[in-house]
Amino acid sequence: MTETRPASPPHPSQRSLGRLDWFVFLVADVQTGFGPFVAVYLTTQHWTQIDIGLVLTVAGLVSLFGQIPGGALIDAVRSERVVAAIGVSMIAAAALIYATFPIFPAVLLAATMQAAASCVVGPAIAAISLGLVGHAAIGERFGRNARFASIGAGLSAGVMGAVGYFLSAQAVFFVTAALLIPALFVLHGIDPKEIDPERAHGNLSEEPAGKPRADLRSLLRQRPLLVFGCCILLFHFANAAMLPLMGSVLTTRLSQLAPVLIAACIVGPQLVVALFSPWVGRQTQRWGRRPLLIAGFAVLPIRGFLFAVVTDPYLLVVVQLLDGLTAGIFNVMVPLTVADLTRGTGRFNLTQGVVGTMMGVGAALSPTFAGYLSDTFGSPIAFAGLAAIAVVGLATVGLLMPETRPAQSPADAEASGRRKRPSAAGCRSSSS
Amino acid sequence: MCKRLAIVLLTMAFAIVAAAAQTTPTEGVGTPSVTVLDKQEVQGILGRDVRSTADENMGRIVDVLVDGAGTARAAIIDFGGFLGVGSRKIAVDWKALHFVPAAEKRYGIVLELTRDQVKPAPEYKEGKPIVVLGASGNLETLP
Repeated sequence: MTETRPASPPHPSQRSLGRLDWFVFLVADVQTGFGPFVAVYLTTQHWTQIDIGLVLTVAGLVSLFGQIPGGALIDAVRSERVVAAIGVSMIAAAALIYATFPIFPAVLLAATMQAAASCVVGPAIAAISLGLVGHAAIGERFGRNARFASIGAGLSAGVMGAVGYFLSAQAVFFVTAALLIPALFVLHGIDPKEIDPERAHGNLSEEPAGKPRADLRSLLRQRPLLVFGCCILLFHFANAAMLPLMGSVLTTRLSQLAPVLIAACIVGPQLVVALFSPWVGRQTQRWGRRPLLIAGFAVLPIRGFLFAVVTDPYLLVVVQLLDGLTAGIFNVMVPLTVADLTRGTGRFNLTQGVVGTMMGVGAALSPTFAGYLSDTFGSPIAFAGLAAIAVVGLATVGLLMPETRPAQSPADAEASGRRKRPSAAGCRSSSS
Repeated sequence: MCKRLAIVLLTMAFAIVAAAAQTTPTEGVGTPSVTVLDKQEVQGILGRDVRSTADENMGRIVDVLVDGAGTARAAIIDFGGFLGVGSRKIAVDWKALHFVPAAEKRYGIVLELTRDQVKPAPEYKEGKPIVVLGASGNLETLP
């Protein structure tokens, strides 16, 4: 690598971009089996509730405190592909351990491995995306990532639900582990020469290589980043408990159909995200980030309020589709805003880790808060409480969060112009 | 200094005596008596599927509550949900459960309640009063 590099605009091949689509899809598939389903599986393996709780707590703590080191690791390495490959292999190995050795030490190890690997794989996907397409086209790329992740999560929830029901809970983890092979295959197909490691870390390609990375403390003291972190915390605080609480409400109202409707509540919003997020990705350039962020946040209190007042189970499923709108926006806006705020710092992935930690804190507070309200005052008040937190988040975004869309540099404009995309022409005319 | 040493010595002495007390009875009496249970007669129940009399899926047994005398009072079943989302833990009266021995053709655990009777029951939570769903669908709070 030379000391000063030419300002080469990114020119990823269709093959690499297509393989990245598939990799995002397969990683989402692999992750579906972990989550609440682990508790169900361990129960079938004669585990006590205390041991299950312990394993889940350890995994939760690892995934919370692993975010920042995971991001720092991605910023430090030169090949995001290799790290992503190791990460998915660890997750698949964890699934295999779950399926074959459901004994305490092995499962504890597997849960830790899966949580730690997830802290690396998520940022690695975002880094590969940024390294491939560069800042100018990243909004659209994150839109595509969100689409394929949702198709993967929705489809595999359906398939794994069926596998768990008709075969066994154990079979779900064998299916998960088997998905490693196609995942590694498509990852191998992404051309490493097209992933610019400097760009993947959030540096601008026209800057000289080897530029020292931004000072961490000054980066984290940036006001927009702190505001954004708080918004994400509030978002997950308001959002994380809604679906489980609603599922629990459905279970009390319907006897036979509840599992089917809960399945619809999981899969339905994913379909909405799949349809909607690429459009969000394109609009981020045209409209800017702020209007979309506000729109995404505005849907959340409406959903909470409707959950509090709607009693018809079928209508609840329809209301849950609103989750797809919020998720469609946030799945694009979170990595995109971080990419905006860390342009030229070389700390894109570490900052993703910081925001991911805030997300984890919010998601951890949510069930405790909602559970307390629901036990004491009933589920409508719990939903109203979550909606109230969403209103606080909406106010925070509306009053404090600045627009983060950068003014386009000539190199970026040239880059987006080269690919002759209609949206690129649109964004240039609006922002220059 | 001397005092601390004395405490340490005393503690060690106690530990040795306690260890001796633990090992002596087994050595004196010999091996404890064993009973061989027929696998067709008994079964482990943790994590096992529960069906209703109408053969509906009623979830799985995740815990058993016993009183001071060791008598089983209630079983906690994890009921409903999809892929672990929306499932609820419900305490059902031990007497409402029937254990069909493994020797039978259709063995398993049968709960004398329907899904409609179980679904509105309050959730079992640690640190909360335990409300048990009886065989006739009535709710009873355990002291």
